[in-house]
Amino acid sequence: MNHIALKMLMGDRGKYLGIIMGLTFASLIMTQQPAIFVGLMSRSFSFISDLGLPDIWVMDPKVQFIDDVKPLQDTKLYRVRGVAGVKWAMPLYKGLLKARMADGTFQTCNVIGLDDATLIGGPPVMLEGKLEDLRRSDGVIVDIDGAIDKLAKPSKIKGGKPEPLKIGDTLELNDKRAIVVGIAKTTKTFQSQPVIYTTYSRAVRFAPRERKMLSFVLVKAMPGENIPLLTRRITESTGLAAYTQQEFKDLTWGYFMKNTGIPINFGISVTLGFIVGAAIAGQTFYNFTLENLRQFGVLKAMGTSNWTLLRMILLQAILVGLIGYGLGVGLTALFGYAMRNTIMAFKFPWQLLVFSGFGVTLICVFAALISIRKVIKLEPAIVFKG
Amino acid sequence: MNGQSTAAVRCKSVVKTYDTGGDKVVALGGIDLEIHMGELMMLVGPSGCGKTTLISVIAGILDQDSGSCEVFGEDMLHMRSNQKLKFRARNIGFVFQAYNLLPSLNAVENVSVPLIINGVKRQTAEYRAAKVLEQVGLGARGKSLPSQLSGGQQQRVAIARALVHDPKLIVCDEPTSALDHETGHTVMELLKDVALHDDRALVIVTHDSRIFGFADRIARMDDGHIDKVVDSSDKL
Amino acid sequence: MLPKYTLPALAALGFAFGVFSVIRGNQPIPIAQPVAEPANSPFPSFIAGAGIVEAKSQNISVGTPLSGIIQQVTVKVGDKIKAGDILFRIDDREALAELGVRKANLAKAKAAVGEAEASVNDTRNMLELIEAVTDRRAISKEDLDRRRNAHTIAKARLESARAQVLQNEAELAATQTTLDRLVVHAPVAGEVLQVNIRPGEFAPASAGNTPLMVLGNLDQLHIRVDIDENDAWRFRKEGRAVAYLRGNRNFKTDLKLVWVEPYVIPKRSLTGDSTERVDTRVLQALYSFDRASMPAYVGQQMDVFIEAPDASATLPSMPKPGTAETRS
Repeated sequence: MNHIALKMLMGDRGKYLGIIMGLTFASLIMTQQPAIFVGLMSRSFSFISDLGLPDIWVMDPKVQFIDDVKPLQDTKLYRVRGVAGVKWAMPLYKGLLKARMADGTFQTCNVIGLDDATLIGGPPVMLEGKLEDLRRSDGVIVDIDGAIDKLAKPSKIKGGKPEPLKIGDTLELNDKRAIVVGIAKTTKTFQSQPVIYTTYSRAVRFAPRERKMLSFVLVKAMPGENIPLLTRRITESTGLAAYTQQEFKDLTWGYFMKNTGIPINFGISVTLGFIVGAAIAGQTFYNFTLENLRQFGVLKAMGTSNWTLLRMILLQAILVGLIGYGLGVGLTALFGYAMRNTIMAFKFPWQLLVFSGFGVTLICVFAALISIRKVIKLEPAIVFKG
Repeated sequence: MNGQSTAAVRCKSVVKTYDTGGDKVVALGGIDLEIHMGELMMLVGPSGCGKTTLISVIAGILDQDSGSCEVFGEDMLHMRSNQKLKFRARNIGFVFQAYNLLPSLNAVENVSVPLIINGVKRQTAEYRAAKVLEQVGLGARGKSLPSQLSGGQQQRVAIARALVHDPKLIVCDEPTSALDHETGHTVMELLKDVALHDDRALVIVTHDSRIFGFADRIARMDDGHIDKVVDSSDKL
Repeated sequence: MLPKYTLPALAALGFAFGVFSVIRGNQPIPIAQPVAEPANSPFPSFIAGAGIVEAKSQNISVGTPLSGIIQQVTVKVGDKIKAGDILFRIDDREALAELGVRKANLAKAKAAVGEAEASVNDTRNMLELIEAVTDRRAISKEDLDRRRNAHTIAKARLESARAQVLQNEAELAATQTTLDRLVVHAPVAGEVLQVNIRPGEFAPASAGNTPLMVLGNLDQLHIRVDIDENDAWRFRKEGRAVAYLRGNRNFKTDLKLVWVEPYVIPKRSLTGDSTERVDTRVLQALYSFDRASMPAYVGQQMDVFIEAPDASATLPSMPKPGTAETRS
């Protein structure tokens, strides 16, 4: 009977394609929109993800998210270092500084200062140069996106394309000279500002004079240490907020969820996609069943049980669901692939596969249910009526 | 030759009423009818006389309100729905006025449907279906879709479908009304020659008087009653 | 037209591509490894601090008692010196000129003494001459008094002239001292760590930001460790301490406590910047270490760990900070 069910479904090409298009569309919207959403939101904490080495971030208790820097006294570093269970603790400077470009324009940059000795907290991938090169005087490392785009040198020819920043070029950070010694690849941040890495003491020198300069303390726990317990111990003994990497991500994510309109906007488009997809696919599937009602009647008259008919309809629904889902996911992935080198935010975690799969299943179950109801209530006697 | 002794269908005072918004319409007002094995019985009469209701009851698609209708000695009224379905699938073949072939299946697949319902494997079913198609003279059109066949050919496919699982009772609803005279004649010859034998009964509902000659007996119906049953040899 | 497997195949392909991009897009970001492994404490419970290497004698910022133009610098950075060695000289021409004047004055004063002595002899002779006359009538009383007074005056003049010599001698000595003070000597034996003056530069006698010269005894080095005042209560003199060289944690050395500065001072930034930014106070402890155990230079920073009781484990009679107090 399964064979017959599939033949019935695919025999009516128009309807078959219609259902699949509806489901593909729904699945596409339910995958691609959340992917953009997740991509955008994960940029909010991409700096934290990029910095994978430390287990714990220590900061002022009033810090709400990663870019909300409330500097600490320098000696706090040593207090954190003195907490039992801490393997090491390193300072990190993070601040927005103005870089002056060769043509006189200003660009705000995210300046990251790493511990002078260990350079812990460096960029994940170095494209040119080495992290150690930061030890050269006035050395800074610039991220590739900034080097190509926002920090690029104006073209020598008038109106030509700007030249990307290269190793050896100089920048002016707060009237102080900096030399590019490396190009790094970093994950894009929410504000998409160029990222400049340098040493802590140099960053402090670049930065405008403030009483406190230490933005974060990065902590690595002793092997085997219970990390949540350690965060509590750090908080107790220093009075600072200590978060695990995941907690800090969640904090940042939560801030953006609560304080920006992004989740609502994307929630609406996902819901619309679901509704439109459900309407198109559900309606077409129902129409398809209605049109084939007579055939179901014939099968019923010839002795097919309701249970078999139900299985046939479910099979049809599952097939169109799978195809629509697969196509939608494929198109989303294609979209992401096409956009991989643009500014577009796109992130495709496996949870989204489950999410859109669930959405498509819901649509199919809904469509199948109303059709099944119709078929079960069908009187086979209709087959004798001309 | 004529198995008078073995009754394929035995109806006794079968009553069926429809409830159409308060008004009770009596479709069958106490039918008594016997159909024997090896017999081609025609039910004739004007529209709305209850012929379709009667064959629906005989085929177990409708339940009568009162009276009994035994098919091969069993009254489907008293069966559980699953048993009834199985009984129907095994013992009854259907030929419909509008052919009711599944448009997405080709001739062989259409014919194999009753076998598949009976749980025969698809390959076996299609093999047997192709053989039956040959019997009805459509051996070459097995791969054709119903839309590619003429009306007569479609009806022949439908007849093959009614025969393929070797049922003991074949119920035909106006098998010729959609066909021209010549094609109708061919179809009836086919039914008489291929379908009818000692171990099977045919019930044909029709008001096409041109084919009355094919019947062994004709039951005339009017207004829910059988006026009279005549042997075709008696001639009207 | 569309074969019946086209769409399912496309869908399967699409799903596979989706899974592929999920796997590819969610590969963990590579973790940037530290250039040098950070130092970590060998103790389960400890105080961490920043230490700076200094000479045992502490670092002596040499000053000058007198302001003036530098005439000569007699030592170089790195010179080993003994106590009393000349470090540098300040322009002494003015003092030398004054010395000449003083010497002339002395000579003149000495000459005046001879003159006064002669005058005393003369007056005494005159007085003795008249006193030898026995006949009092032969001499007048007036003449006798005059000669007696003249002798007395001459004696007083001699005293005065002698005093003048003493004064001029003292003045000469003072100038000589000034001259000596224009030459700066090493107060202790040690090594010249820093020289910030060159001949021709003006050396102020007041305490400036930059010392003229820094001396130290490098035979033994000390590490001065800053301990945050908030951690100071945990500091124990008997606690073991270890210092790590920044940039290579393989260089480590055990420390011996020398003394603890009894006065808690505002933190002078040991961590790089020269200007004061932070308003915290620190306890300073001085440790000595074996110089052979690591290539340390004076002024270099170290990561220091001092064994200390756990913050929550000490003084059980006191409530744990942050738990018992904040609850209830």
